[in-house]
This record gives sequence, structure tokens and C-alpha cells, in this order.
Amino acid sequence: MGYSFDFQSVSFGPLWEGLIVTLELTVAANIIGVVLGFPLALLIMSRFAPVRLPAMLFVEFFRCTPAIVQIVWFFYCVPMLFNVFLGSMTMGILALGLNLMAFNAEAYRAAIQAVPREQLDAGIALGLNPLQRTLYIVLPTAVRASIPVLLTNGIGIFQQTALVAIVAVQDLMYQAKTLATETYRPIETFTIVALVYFAVSFPVSQIVGYLERRRQLMMS
Amino acid sequence: MTMSFSAPLVKIQSLHKSYGPHIQVLKGLDIEMKPGERVVVIGPSGGGKSTLLRVMMGLEKIDSGSISFGGKPYISSEGADRKTEIDTEVRRSIGMVFQHYTLFPHLSVIQNLILAPCKVRGEAKASATKRAQALLERFGLGAKANAYPAQLSGGQKQRVAIARALMLDPKLMLFDEVTSALDPELVAEVEQVILQLAAQDMPMMIVTHDMWFAKNIASRVIFCAGGVVVEDGPPEQVLGSPKEERTRDFIDRVFHIRH
Repeated sequence: MGYSFDFQSVSFGPLWEGLIVTLELTVAANIIGVVLGFPLALLIMSRFAPVRLPAMLFVEFFRCTPAIVQIVWFFYCVPMLFNVFLGSMTMGILALGLNLMAFNAEAYRAAIQAVPREQLDAGIALGLNPLQRTLYIVLPTAVRASIPVLLTNGIGIFQQTALVAIVAVQDLMYQAKTLATETYRPIETFTIVALVYFAVSFPVSQIVGYLERRRQLMMS
Repeated sequence: MTMSFSAPLVKIQSLHKSYGPHIQVLKGLDIEMKPGERVVVIGPSGGGKSTLLRVMMGLEKIDSGSISFGGKPYISSEGADRKTEIDTEVRRSIGMVFQHYTLFPHLSVIQNLILAPCKVRGEAKASATKRAQALLERFGLGAKANAYPAQLSGGQKQRVAIARALMLDPKLMLFDEVTSALDPELVAEVEQVILQLAAQDMPMMIVTHDMWFAKNIASRVIFCAGGVVVEDGPPEQVLGSPKEERTRDFIDRVFHIRH
């Protein structure tokens, strides 16, 4: 092949800055997704159609369109449609956060519906009222059950943040592209970047695996 | 004793219950239970035994009929709207234990026991914990107070479930096939606990497939099939020399399988 690797000319400064931005995007999107996903799940399960249908439409929109389209749409259409002009970072956080919120709502919904009927019967037999059953039985069980999926979704959004590079958010991917062009070292740059994404994602996916194994033990 | 001996503790009147338009589970059930009685309900699967207990606990809607407890009607569906009315205040005097251990998996044993007393009755945590610990000691589970349900055997879970129900000082206990899901070697420890309660004159209604247990705990046996009471009497009669053909068939088959 005759290619001589040169990792020396890849400067880590911009990549480090990019990683910080990527992590900021990830944390902010996860805060939106984890916190607002739960009330959204309750809306999806509402017996009242005017509440349920818009919530379902919201979720399906984010589940059934590519994330990159959502980001581009947010970046170009929201300012024109609603006459709001936000910084590219804020836009990125909103697009990723709302996307995650939709996916997390589904995770919460599945977990809430997976609470065994017998658990609720036991709650009734113990005299707990509906609100107490929700607070002391459904909520703690469902939140625990959804943690592995929330983590998986969260780490998914960490990887999706790479997409906001195309709307000029200076994240890890954006910095890598710039650096690769400047140094003519795309192989080295993107290899390092891939390793950085991996280094963050891999431990989390291991934690997910551990939590799922432990959960299976708990339920047996 | 102000109440006369014949005053019923539970009075079930023409109870009807169906699932959907075609499946009638209870077809006019009438049962009167006196204070201190231990009623064992036996019968083929689908005969309405478990449904009866679930209805008494207010877990199922009914089509028509009524149930009263200590002279107070607490479940009825008699109005024109056929809505099942449940008096939750009266229902609170009844405790129930289920086939599948329904301990809350995210709470420790002691937390499972004190949840309802603290939240429903507003009992102070310290006093509930003290009562719970005493109850666990009595059931040989003192060392398990801080264990989580996943760390317990099936028999231990079921004993905890019984203790949890007793924390609310029920005046009647319902046991719905509480040993059916257990490994055979764990059945005895759960039945011992129930026998212990029986020795203290706790009124109870028990659905079981375990005829040895039925014989040992019952003061009265009801054979329920096809949604009605087929035979009702002392255990020696219903289990030993049943009068009804259907009861005899059932008893023969059950004992044939067991021996």
C-alpha cells in the first residue's frame, strides 16, 4: 500500500474542544429526553384521544424520519416557520433532545405497561388508592425497568450528535472534518475520532449489559 | 359477644359474573360464612373459585348480586346502570394472598410490610417497623427483614406476602391457590403459617388444589363447579363421602392422581 501513517500531525487540541461540545450536546439532549420523556409517555397512554393522538404523532414523527433530516429541518425550517432564530448549538440540542424524548417516551411506556397486573392487584388488596399505586408501585418499577433502554438511547444520541456537524455545530465530528482537510490526514484523524466515540460508548454499553443480566436475576 | 352466633360474617347473594358476552364464570352464587369459619373452596379449573375470591376483594367487576361483610354491604351491582359499587372502607377489613408472590420487587421485605400501614393508615414508620419485625420473627423470617424479594425462596416470599396482608389487621383472609406455584418441598412451610393463623381463629376462605391441606384446615368445604355451589358441608362429608355425583367424580379424580 505504501501509506505511511503520521499521527503526529493530528493535533489533539481541536479534537478535545470538539469532544467537549459533543458531550455537552449529549448531556443536554439526555436531560430533555429523560425528564420530558416520562410525561410524554403518560400522554401517549391517555384514554382521552385529543391528548393521546398529538402525542403519538409527535413520537411517530421522530421515530419514522431519519435523525439527519430532523436536524436539517430544525435548522432551516424552524427559523422560517416560527421566526425564531436560535444559535446552532441550541438548535442542535433541541433537535437531538426532542428526538430522544420521543424514543424515551416509548421506553417508559413499554416499562409502565410491563408492570405485572398482579402487582397492581396486590396494591388494591392492600388498600392503596390509584395515585398511591402509581407512585409507589408503577413508577419505581417502571423507571428501574426502563434504565437499560434509556442508557442505550442516550448513547445512541451521543453518536447521533455527529450529525449536527453538518449544520455547523463545532462538535467532535466537525473538528475532525476540518482537521482532516487541513492536515491531509483523514485516515489518522477519523481513526482517532472513531476510537474516541468508541471509548465513550463501549463502557456504557457494558453497563447496559450488566444491568440487563442483573434485572433478569431480579425477576426470576 | 353482642353478635349472635348465626350472624354471617360474609353474605354473598346471587353473584353473577361473566367475561365478555359468552363466558359466564359465576352463575348465581350464594354463600354465607359465619365468624370463625375456615372455608375451603375446591373444584375444577374454570369453575369460578379464583374469580369468587377476586370479586370478594373487589378486583373484578360483577354483573349482578351483592356481598356484605359484617352486616355491611360493600360490593353490589344492582342499580339500573349495572355499575359495580365497592365500599373501600369495608373492603379494607379483608386481606388477600395470591398464587404468584406479588411482593414489590423494588422494596425490601420490611418495606413491603410497612408500605400499606404507613401510606393507607398513616401509621408512624417506627411503630409499623416494630410490628413488622415482630410478625417476621413469628414466621421465622426475622433475619430476612432487609432482604429483597429476589433473594428469597418461593416459600419465603409467600410467607412474607401473608405477613404483609396481616399488617393491616384483616378480619378475613383470602388465600388464592397460594401454594400452587411453589416447589413441592416448600409447600409445607407456607401451609404451616396458615395453620398457625387458623389456630388463632382467623376467618379465612381458601382456594386450593391440595386436598391434604384442605382436610387439615377446613371447618367447611364448598365444591364449586360451573359457576355454582354444587356441594357445601363439613370436610368429612364433602371430601370423604360426597353426596353429589359431580363432587364424587372430582374427588375420585383428584385422589387418583395423588396416589
